[in-house]
Amino acid sequence: METWFTAIIYGLSTSGILFLISLALSIGYGLMRIVNMEAMLYYSFGAYITYTIVTLTGSFLLGAVGAALIGGLLGFIVETTLLRKVYHRNMMFTMVVTFSVFMIGIGVIQFIYGLDPKPVASPISTIVRLMNIQIPLYRLIIIVIAAAAYLFIQILMNKTITGKALRAGIENRENVEGLGVNINRIFTTTFVIASAFAGLGGALNAPLVMVGPYMGFDMLLFAFITVILGGLGSIKGTMVASLVLGQVINVGGTIWAPLAFVGPFIVMFITILIKPTGLYGVKGTAFGFND
Amino acid sequence: MKLKKLEIFGPVFIIIGLLISRYLFPNKITFFTEISIYTIFVMGNNILMGYMGYTSFGQPFYLSCGAYAAALYLAYLGGNVFVAMLFAVLVGLLLSLILGPSLMRLKGSYFTLINASLCAIGVFMFERLLIDITNGNDGLWYRSNMAKTPFLDIRLPQNYFFFIMFVLLAALYIYRKMDKSALGSILKASNSNPRKMRFLGYNVFRIRWLAYTISVVFSTIAGSLYAVNFGFVNPSLGENSRAIEVLLATLIGGIGTVYGPFFGALGFLGMKDFVSSWLSRWEFVVGIMTLVVLFKFNRGLWGLIQDTGSFIFDLSKKYKKESIKTAEK
Amino acid sequence: MNQESKLLKVDNLNVCYGKLAVLFDVSVNVNAGEVVFLVGRNGAGKTTLFRTIAGFLSPAEGNIEFKGNNINKTGAYKTARSGLKYIHQDKQVFGDLTVKENLELSSYATKDYDWEPVLGMFPKLRELIDRKAGNLSGGEKQMLLIAMAMIGKPSLVMLDEPTEGLAPHVIKDLAAIFKKLSKTTTLFIVEQNLPLIAEIADRVYCMKEGKVVNEIISREDIGNLCFEQYL
Repeated sequence: METWFTAIIYGLSTSGILFLISLALSIGYGLMRIVNMEAMLYYSFGAYITYTIVTLTGSFLLGAVGAALIGGLLGFIVETTLLRKVYHRNMMFTMVVTFSVFMIGIGVIQFIYGLDPKPVASPISTIVRLMNIQIPLYRLIIIVIAAAAYLFIQILMNKTITGKALRAGIENRENVEGLGVNINRIFTTTFVIASAFAGLGGALNAPLVMVGPYMGFDMLLFAFITVILGGLGSIKGTMVASLVLGQVINVGGTIWAPLAFVGPFIVMFITILIKPTGLYGVKGTAFGFND
Repeated sequence: MKLKKLEIFGPVFIIIGLLISRYLFPNKITFFTEISIYTIFVMGNNILMGYMGYTSFGQPFYLSCGAYAAALYLAYLGGNVFVAMLFAVLVGLLLSLILGPSLMRLKGSYFTLINASLCAIGVFMFERLLIDITNGNDGLWYRSNMAKTPFLDIRLPQNYFFFIMFVLLAALYIYRKMDKSALGSILKASNSNPRKMRFLGYNVFRIRWLAYTISVVFSTIAGSLYAVNFGFVNPSLGENSRAIEVLLATLIGGIGTVYGPFFGALGFLGMKDFVSSWLSRWEFVVGIMTLVVLFKFNRGLWGLIQDTGSFIFDLSKKYKKESIKTAEK
Repeated sequence: MNQESKLLKVDNLNVCYGKLAVLFDVSVNVNAGEVVFLVGRNGAGKTTLFRTIAGFLSPAEGNIEFKGNNINKTGAYKTARSGLKYIHQDKQVFGDLTVKENLELSSYATKDYDWEPVLGMFPKLRELIDRKAGNLSGGEKQMLLIAMAMIGKPSLVMLDEPTEGLAPHVIKDLAAIFKKLSKTTTLFIVEQNLPLIAEIADRVYCMKEGKVVNEIISREDIGNLCFEQYL
């Protein structure tokens, strides 16, 4: 019984990290209808910056802030110099372009930090007792941060005028611009926020995994699965999908260890065959294809 | 016009080029063998990506299925290499028979991602589920089981190279035939306007299924060629990370063309080989090169070759005309 | 006619889609306070001209001046903020948002939160204020679009086929609205509806195959429908 409960809590924290990282992919698709594979760079760079700052200052909090900043900065650079130029091209083209950027980023990481994985110590070693079960406080903090991020994005999208302009811009870009709204700036701001969350995800995940050049690569497919499973362009879907996948990885992994890796793929495989638009996806054209 | 007529000898030129380079760089023979096998693999992807507009992240899955089909045959059932390859083709047909109907109904990114999950499931299957017969991560070794083949003992690398040349020549001509026949146009047309193809009376779904089958069979053949070449297989052949490599190779070569796959395989593997001999970090350079190809030469290496070819041809024609004029004077 | 009264001045405009030229040496002027119409067959380049002026396309050659400033390369949103509003042909409001939110969006862009003049002109919108804009009728959508354009008190409003697909009685209402609008702002309208043009036009430009072929100034000529050949 206790193992299951622990697995569920661990699963929630995995969900939290998955959600933070997938947000950049989800918003990139939602805004510009492109698959921005380079989003995983914000995650890797976030983790590495955390490593550097923790090594230099010993403060994990500073590291996490630095990670969010570097994620946002990279997102800003990539969005303004590259994505804006390719968003009207077809899906395959943008996928390969962003993947090339991703590879260049991996090269840069290897150049700066080398190939060896770097460890980041867990900032909080406190163990909380919940109904007789021991849970690391750090896991609970991750869950809270991810939940706060979800609320923040939902309020931003649905309650503020910026969010309304954004939704209108997704519906019809030219008409919003015609009203005098600088839609590019709103898109960039949103994208930068999502990238900063990906960087934060990297920081939060750094103590749980080894920080290595290919960590983004390992996460890429899982982030992809989260976004597709939830339905493209739906933030709520991304959240629900990350909840499901977190449990599949942890509870599934407790049942039979290999399920931790292959479980998400199987879940996606079955879901897409039954409901090709994902859990919350809107019926319509899948990107790049009119048929 | 002359240049176009020469095109029919394209595959022969490629083979001659490979044979010459094999003797120019005798210690690079395995590299040329690999390029040739990779060409066949890229051809399979090119059908989906270039002709059909379907991006698959799962090509390594089909490759590893072909490789494991041949490997399992050679390890447990018999020693004939050709039967092993035939077995791989059958497995490819079977795969597309089972998976095709459901996969080809999906669109865009969903197709891409389902294939990616196939990749992961494939690795899982060969690494864990079938560990009793595949030896998991240790890999399956069967070189000693391979029987001597008549005429040419293809167990030896230098002889295998000739065998591969023969296979590649055949594959290129089949590919060329497919491109020039109605099938090539039908595939491209049902990519650009499926609705119109339906109005014309084509069953677009069946066309897609056919293309998928061809693609899978090319990939499994490439897989079986790898299996015979190395004499052992392990699950890493079907890893997800390799899916991107084949997409890059296809784009670098020039998508939707007959000779693009060869130049893509040559360009990509060559670049990787060259860069990794200088730097241990090939990702950086390959990433930049791909961006350059995508933005500057969006028809790929083959497009570049065609352009320079016709440029030189035009120049020489001009020169000829001028020399005739001066002679007349 | 002195220089200052020329609100919009387009000189020798050439526009291309890639290598394909679609506008050839187009010159048009709109003076402050006028109602100017642009007529022509489908494909004559009317919408292209409007989109270029509004900043969605950039001209290959030529000059666009608005209030004396060159706006050749000015982005669409900046043009709109400077007082030149463009209403698309497709009558697309933001269906997902309510009427109120649609108006808010326009206020957000222009920093003009005074809705009274607009709602005074379209009392019906006041009743529909909490309705999803996607559920409005075609005429109501057009009214909402005009209302959104009028927020920020623009000096020039360009409308692309505002009456297309609307019922005759709605067109009549629109004609009355245009008359009212012309008192506070300048209008530049692409239109195919001849009675409407005859009723309210000050001047008419005719376009054919990417060129301005005729400019009709006197009201008699407009009444004579001599430009029917261009429709």
